[in-house]
Formats: sequence, C-alpha cells, structure tokens
Amino acid sequence: MTETIGIWIAAFLTLCMFSFLYKDNPFYKFAEHLFVGVSMGYYIPYTFYNAFLPYAYEPLFLRKDYILIIPFIIGILYWFRFSSKFSWISRYPIAFSMGMVGMGVPMSMHATVLVQMRTMMLPLNNINIILIFIGTISILLYFFFSKAHEGVYGKFTSIGIWFMMVGFGASFGYTVMARISLLIGRIQFLLGDWLGFIK
Amino acid sequence: MKFSESMQKLDRRYIYIVLAIAVILPLVFPIGFKTYSTTPVEDLYRHIDAIAGRDDMAIIMDFTHDPGVMPELYPMDLAILRHCFERNIKVFTISFLPQGAAIIQLALSEVKEDYPDIEANIDYCNFGFKPWGLKLPIMLGMGDDIAKAVETNSEGLKLENLPIMQDIKNYDNIQVVVEISGSSMGQFWVTYARAKFGVDVAVGLTAVMAADVYPLLQTGQFIGSLGGLKGAAEYEQLVDIFAMNGQEFSKKKARNMKWVEQAYKNIPEKARLYKYNKARIGMDAQAIVHVLIILFIILGNIGYFLEQREQKKKYMK
Repeated sequence: MTETIGIWIAAFLTLCMFSFLYKDNPFYKFAEHLFVGVSMGYYIPYTFYNAFLPYAYEPLFLRKDYILIIPFIIGILYWFRFSSKFSWISRYPIAFSMGMVGMGVPMSMHATVLVQMRTMMLPLNNINIILIFIGTISILLYFFFSKAHEGVYGKFTSIGIWFMMVGFGASFGYTVMARISLLIGRIQFLLGDWLGFIK
Repeated sequence: MKFSESMQKLDRRYIYIVLAIAVILPLVFPIGFKTYSTTPVEDLYRHIDAIAGRDDMAIIMDFTHDPGVMPELYPMDLAILRHCFERNIKVFTISFLPQGAAIIQLALSEVKEDYPDIEANIDYCNFGFKPWGLKLPIMLGMGDDIAKAVETNSEGLKLENLPIMQDIKNYDNIQVVVEISGSSMGQFWVTYARAKFGVDVAVGLTAVMAADVYPLLQTGQFIGSLGGLKGAAEYEQLVDIFAMNGQEFSKKKARNMKWVEQAYKNIPEKARLYKYNKARIGMDAQAIVHVLIILFIILGNIGYFLEQREQKKKYMK
C-alpha cells in the first residue's frame, strides 16, 4: 500500500515537472520547491546521524578520543561565517582545507599531466597515435597567443580548431544521449511502475 | 508562410510531442535493436571476470551518484552486481553521498532477490555512506589496510571481524575500483589511489561525462568505462551472454552477432526479467530519438539556409 502511494506521488510530481514543457505554471513551481526542501530535509538528518554522530560526537565524547578536539574545533570555526563581526575566524578552517588541496598537487600533476605527456612520447607507429599527436600539438599551438596565427603556422593551428570541433561534436552527441536517457527513465517509470504497461 | 520560415518559427512544443511519441512507442513495443559491445566495456567486463571464484580478490563499487542520474547509472549498478553474484566475485560497495547509500541498498536488494545464496559480509560487504570529507583518508588508507580505513560496514559492524575480510587486506587484493557517478569522482581515484598504490580504476558515467574520459582510457589510467545508457546496455548484454551462460569472456564471440543471438536463446529465465534489460529496452527509444534529432537538425539547417537565400535575394532587389 505504502509503495503504491509512493508511486502515485512520484508520478504526480513527474507530471508536474513535465508541465513546464508547456509553460511555467504553479504545479511546476510547487514540485520544484518541494524537491529543494525534501533534498535538504533528507541531507541534514542523514549527515547528522551518519557523519556527525559516528565521526565526531561518539569518538570524542563517548570513547574519549581527545586528539579529535583539534579537528572538531577547526570545524566549529566555520560557524563564525554567520557573524558579521567574527566572520574572519572562519578563514582559518578554509586555509586548512586549502592546505589539504595542496597535498593533492603532486599526485594531480602525475595523474593529469605527466602520464598524459608520456603517452605523447610513444613511437608514431599507428594512425591513432599519429592523430592524437597532431591533435595535441595543433591545439596547444592554437592556444599560444604570443605569435600571430598567420601563414603556415596559422594553417597548422586551424587544424587544432577542427580537432576541437570534432571533440565538441562528440560531447554534444553524448549530451543528447544523456538528456534523452533521463526522459526514457521517467517514461519507463510512468508506463511501467505507475500505469503497468511495461512488465 | 514559406517552408523555410515555418521551419524557423516552429513551436518547440510540437517537437516535444514528437519526441515523447518516439520514446513511448519503442518502450511499449520493444523493437529489439542489436547491441554492439565496445572495447572500454569489454575491458571492464574481462577485468572483473578474471577474479571469478577467488576469495583473496574483490572489486570496490563506488556509488557516488544521486537518484537524478539513476536512469543512466542504475542499470550499470544492477549489471555489475549481477555479474559479481553470478560469477562468485566478492564486492565492496561504498558511497560518499548520502543519497548513494540508499541506491546501494536498493540495488543490492533487487539483485539479491534472484540470488538467495549470496550472503552479506561473506560474498559482498556494503560499507555504506562515508562522509565526503573522509574521502581522501579512506582512499589513501585503503592502500594500507581496508578494515582500518573504513572501520565499519553499513550496519556498524567492525570490518576486521567479518568473514569477507579474511583474505583481503588492501589494494593488493582489489582487482578494480569501479566508480559509478555523474561527476569527475573517478579522477580522485586515479589521482590518489592509482597514482600512489597502482590500483586499477574504471568508471561508469553519465553520457555527458563520457567524452571526457577518453584521454584517461588512452593512457590506461582507466582500464575501462561504461558511457551512459549505451555502456549499461553493453554490460547487460555481456553479463547475459557470458556470465548467465557460465561462459568465459571472448572478444571474438562478443562481436559475432550470430553467436550472440544464439547465446541469448540459452539464458536462464531470471536474466529475462525487465529490471535486467532496462538499458537495452531504453536503447531502442534512444536510437529512434537520435534519428529524429538528426532529422530535426538537418531540417532546421535547410530552413536556415533557405531563409538566408531569401533575404539575400530581397537585398539584391
């Protein structure tokens, strides 16, 4: 019974959302606001019970793991954002977080730059590697603006534009597929779970 | 009104109606278009399948995605779990999003319905939701000791006491981390877990993100990828024709459509359930809509060029 009620509510809200395709209307607005409210309503208690209690409250206050006082206090400092007078204090935990980002820099350099460069240094013995090599060099030169894009140099950089256009086309095709997949998912729900036309 | 003008001024709501019909009809009356598997999907399937029956190896599935992208990613969740349960492959599930934890529960319960012998904490273990802020300590910590880094499963049980952890210590015992998300979360696994510990990483992504992973596939940083509904449909098919038939993976067979059709005839009844075919049925509608969109683009462009020509003529006069 509860499942049936849930399906009917989900179907009603889906139709409310689809009604925007005709034009903006109160049903759409209602569903949109409800979505934001329910998302936050779900997120806050879930995080409280599954993040704050097991990782902050229980180890610190029940298991007396006092070393956690340091991150606990650093975290508490974020709340000073709500005070206009003391909001500067919240910059300290932000600074600490930025330090954590710094930890990832060497590994990111390795993963996203060095490994990618290494594959550019393979012997040009097949058509794929040759195409990737030409594409990478021509695009990199296209974004080098200290030399005018004229003559042979200009023609070579324009090859980079073609490579980028192919890339944008592939991304667009994938984006269409993604959006249609979401529509298919909702229609599958409406026809299958709600109306029972699909078994 | 001329044709070119009407093309440019067509009310977009007519296009929505045509698209809706193009989606609804193939879903109610499936056409059964063939699914052709691609290398990134086959690589992931083969990689996971290589540890079938081993107690000292497992895979990690990271469900860091929310219900908004379920139409694309949920069929992947089900297909990979079904592959693991069918081939006796140990699975760990984790999510760094609260909503992802609920999706893990849903996926596990749906697949477990058809595998009553599969037991929690023996054949699979759900680590559940872990806060986003603990992502790095957990990713890095699992390189030394998974039980210490994750500490407890979704039921609050200590990992070190669970039977599934007996032969599994760290990333050396992890065949692949499969990140299923609608974001660049897979990149984190590459940056931290792969760069430092060398663990293999693969991704299941929404189609919007799929084009971005090709550079990482080319370098081998991702050993495989499932791109959107198409990737999910391919994986569903590989599970049906190989795992459900008790067969070892063969690229040659996977690409031989006659063999594939024959293999479909022998699959058990449970593989024919709608929930395990959702992506492939969805791909029928997807194909029809793609053809329609190509037609719309061509018609729109014809209308645009005809209108340009008309205006040029007027200007010349």
